[in-house]
Amino acid sequence: MAQVALKGVNKSFGNVDVIHDVDLQIDDGEFVVFVGPSGCGKSTLLRLIAGLENLSSGEIHIADRPVMDLPPSKRGIAMVFQSYALYPHMTVFHNMAFSLGLQGVSKAEIHERVEAAAKILQMEHLLDRRPAALSGGQRQRVAIGRAIVRNPDVFLFDEPLSNLDAALRHDTRVEISKLHNQLGATTIYVTHDQVEAMTLADKIVVLKDGEVMQVGAPMDLFNFPANEFVAGFLGSPKMNFFDGELVSGAGSNSGEFKGDSLHSNGVRLVSTNKSNGDKIKLGIRPQHLVIDPDGQLKGKATLVERLGTETVIELITESQTTFRFASPESLDIVNGQDVSFSFDPASAHLF
Amino acid sequence: MTRTFKHVVLGLIVVIWVLPFIALVTTSLRSETASKTSGFWTAFTPTELGHRFGTHDRGEIEPFVTMSGNIFERLNEGKDSFEVEGEVNSILFKGRVDDPDNPGKTKLIRQLIYAGEVMDVRDGDFVFQSNGDFTWSFPEATAPKPKNLDAFINQDPVFGTDAYVEVLFENENVPNALIASFIVTIPATIIPITIAAFAAYAFAWMRFPGRDWLFVLVVSLMVVPTQLAFLPVLQGFSGIASWATSLNAWMTDCEATKTCQVASKSFASLWVTHTAFGLPLAIYLLRNYIVGLPKELLESARIDGASHLQIFTRLIIPLSVPALASFSIFQFLWVWNDLIVALYIGPADSSDLVFPIRLQKQLGTFKDQLHLLNASAVISIIVPVIVFLSMQRYFIRGLLAGSVKGG
Repeated sequence: MAQVALKGVNKSFGNVDVIHDVDLQIDDGEFVVFVGPSGCGKSTLLRLIAGLENLSSGEIHIADRPVMDLPPSKRGIAMVFQSYALYPHMTVFHNMAFSLGLQGVSKAEIHERVEAAAKILQMEHLLDRRPAALSGGQRQRVAIGRAIVRNPDVFLFDEPLSNLDAALRHDTRVEISKLHNQLGATTIYVTHDQVEAMTLADKIVVLKDGEVMQVGAPMDLFNFPANEFVAGFLGSPKMNFFDGELVSGAGSNSGEFKGDSLHSNGVRLVSTNKSNGDKIKLGIRPQHLVIDPDGQLKGKATLVERLGTETVIELITESQTTFRFASPESLDIVNGQDVSFSFDPASAHLF
Repeated sequence: MTRTFKHVVLGLIVVIWVLPFIALVTTSLRSETASKTSGFWTAFTPTELGHRFGTHDRGEIEPFVTMSGNIFERLNEGKDSFEVEGEVNSILFKGRVDDPDNPGKTKLIRQLIYAGEVMDVRDGDFVFQSNGDFTWSFPEATAPKPKNLDAFINQDPVFGTDAYVEVLFENENVPNALIASFIVTIPATIIPITIAAFAAYAFAWMRFPGRDWLFVLVVSLMVVPTQLAFLPVLQGFSGIASWATSLNAWMTDCEATKTCQVASKSFASLWVTHTAFGLPLAIYLLRNYIVGLPKELLESARIDGASHLQIFTRLIIPLSVPALASFSIFQFLWVWNDLIVALYIGPADSSDLVFPIRLQKQLGTFKDQLHLLNASAVISIIVPVIVFLSMQRYFIRGLLAGSVKGG
């Protein structure tokens, strides 16, 4: 059963199309992450689901009900904003009780539900404080608590972690993940951070310029990107791309690639509309390169970054293509040094 | 160097700003004579002032050779405030003495006689000391008529609240004006701010066709001067009044008592006029404040299920308190100090005149009684000062703290 279903959703502001023909099925209890670079329309898509923006065309169903004509409060959703959007003149308790009070829930039940939510988030001791007296992480929790008490069909998170510092971001991310396991509620989560997307999601939706690029489980997207954009967007450091041409294999799912100094056969061919002899790009992740004195990929190191857990080396080929190599080992390569690599064609992609 | 300069300029501005108020308060606390004869800046140091005193009371005198008394006692007799104290410098002698140029004739002279010097008063020798003691001696027992003398006294500073007592309690005009001003000002502040808050929310956060044009129209109404509109506004009110009069005649039996007439100039006309002319600025100010509130807060409230009215009363109003307070101060001051609208449109009944009109009328009735004028003026200033100070606690910084990022 689809908890949230989008059919041919379009949204334009004036002449600008921001969402273009989006179709999407989100199942009950799924944690779905919308990810993409800024301006890709992911927040707009979330706001369309929330009802804060009106559709230009298309249909949105939540819990099998069409919700296009319903106000946000009747859609069975709860939203956590990037900026928390707490009511500054109310205590935490009243922030959380606000929606219940408007629904006419009895006082006793409000107390019960707010306290239950506070218990889940371990913030019972904060209930009498005002938002101004809370830290960033606590405010974030109140914002989540405010969503929980409404007991919605779908939780919507709009970049909830981007205002937190790095350490807190990690902790809160883990908490959100645990919370989702505990509540089991359908969740849609918007972020521009691919780490959040990879770690939290059951299903990632990659968006670019208002169009869905690929939908799938995080590791599927990582291992089998549907296009160059998804391949380049997911994974850090970015995937390396080399220009060349498709020698053979057009129409099948495996091709032969020939570049300036690279020749590789049996590579996963992603593009289906290429014919033999067309220009094509070979993509290979920095982690999938192997140092090999006899390797065909040669480059001169231009930058060495030692991150502790990983060493990232930026290199440049003779034909002035930059690429990166990442290794969990700490290597003693210095700037200007020539290094050769080989790779397994099975872990490369042709776009 | 520039810092000192800044401080000097700042100090100067403060002095220029505060000086009239100090002058007003000081003068209102001085005696009538003092306020008439010397400037307020002399009120704090001993100042030479002329006082007229009588040597004794009329018709109760036994013949005497030497009479002694005290000028200050004579001056302060029967007074319970502004008692004169200090040193007597001189007394003005006015009388005829032998003319040295024309033997056998006399001439009129005016001359200052100082302490210790002998002065001829009704053919007796009048001598006074600077502490006010005087003796008046005659060659033989005499019962002279009292003589009024003008003494120049280096007078110690003296203040009193007589002018306030006189203005507030001895006459109904100022209390009536105070009440009338409150009757005008309080509704004329509350009504426009209430309407403006609703309108400002609509202009800021509700979507309806022509919203921006309507807002431009409202704001551009700010340039219409009140004076320009007096005639049409008055015509409108008298139209309403005559309509109300006929309605009154039709509905009630007022014709028997000849009380049908409904006044076109009334407190209500003032409320309406001040509301109308206060609204554009109020809407403009409040809209600009309300539109600056974080959008997410309102969206969050919408998701929580709040209607526009609930968002307005439970979010916008509590968060707009500083803007509401500052506009209500504006409007209160403007209405409280307004003379011309009240003059043309307000009630003409003497007991219903508002304070500025009363002050203007006092200029005629009190003429040169500066202390009374100033006391009234101070009373009219005090009210806005109290309003301002009591509103000040609503200017809260960081009202939005903790609401959205940063905070």
